[in-house]
Amino acid sequence: MAGLPRRIIKETQRLMAEPVSGITAVPDEHNSRYFHVVVAGPSQSPYEGGLFKLELFLPEEYPMSAPKVRFMTKIYHPNIDKLGRICLDILKDKWSPALQIRTVLLSIQALLSAPNPDDPLDNNVADHWKTNEKSAIEQARQWTQQYAKASINNH
Amino acid sequence: MNFLYIVSLLLTLNNSIHATSRHFQLLDELNAGINGADDRTISWGLADDDDNTLTNWNCVIIGPPRTNFENRIYQLRVRCGENYPLDPPEVRFVTRISLHGVNEDSGVVDPRSIEAFWTKHSSIKQLLQNIRKWMAQKGNSNLAQPPEGSTY
Repeated sequence: MAGLPRRIIKETQRLMAEPVSGITAVPDEHNSRYFHVVVAGPSQSPYEGGLFKLELFLPEEYPMSAPKVRFMTKIYHPNIDKLGRICLDILKDKWSPALQIRTVLLSIQALLSAPNPDDPLDNNVADHWKTNEKSAIEQARQWTQQYAKASINNH
Repeated sequence: MNFLYIVSLLLTLNNSIHATSRHFQLLDELNAGINGADDRTISWGLADDDDNTLTNWNCVIIGPPRTNFENRIYQLRVRCGENYPLDPPEVRFVTRISLHGVNEDSGVVDPRSIEAFWTKHSSIKQLLQNIRKWMAQKGNSNLAQPPEGSTY
């Protein structure tokens, strides 16, 4: 595609050739800056067995500014809000052009394994996590069953 | 490949670039709304903050000074469809208003009035600013208004 920076082409080729385990990222057929992403819930997390759809967009300034990433599948997680926005430092002030789409997706996968209620995006979920972790994890499991299976089948 | 074919290809490409970034544009618009709109004469936010499709918005316009709308608070519903911002949003006044281009029985803003200025770079903010400008225009500013605060 004309005008697509070499860096993005390279990253895309590598994502396709050597996919990250548990993650698929496919560029949109009409827009090479937009990726359809599916992240499998990591084992031994409340998201295990779920497939989570995300969208990732590389803004014009990429890699000088971070990719924009959002969960499209509903998820019960203290660092992800109801609109699917993700609280992750490397997507904000800790972004560096040395990072890549691959690193971002790996970090998101890691965030699913290790929710961090002390740096919350959704306060209600974070409070739930801090006051009754067992019940919060159960809720996250339920949501995984309810939303992270149907949403893939629907598409 | 002839020239027209290339042009149409480029147009499709350009269109889908915007359609695929719909969510991210609307998230930016949401943040801009939370951070406050300049002079606070307009505001916008999600109608339902659980709505991860970012479709329905509640908006407010404060009537412009030296008009019959002055100091009145106008609520509007704005619906951003799947092809937003390529397609303009659907807009409806919730608060009763007498204004050219607004259906007096339903409060719906005539889509043609919106299409007249809407481009794929437009935003809810610009939409509200435009409507507020209409209110201040001659021929609108002195229209007799329904009782303050009444709704459709």
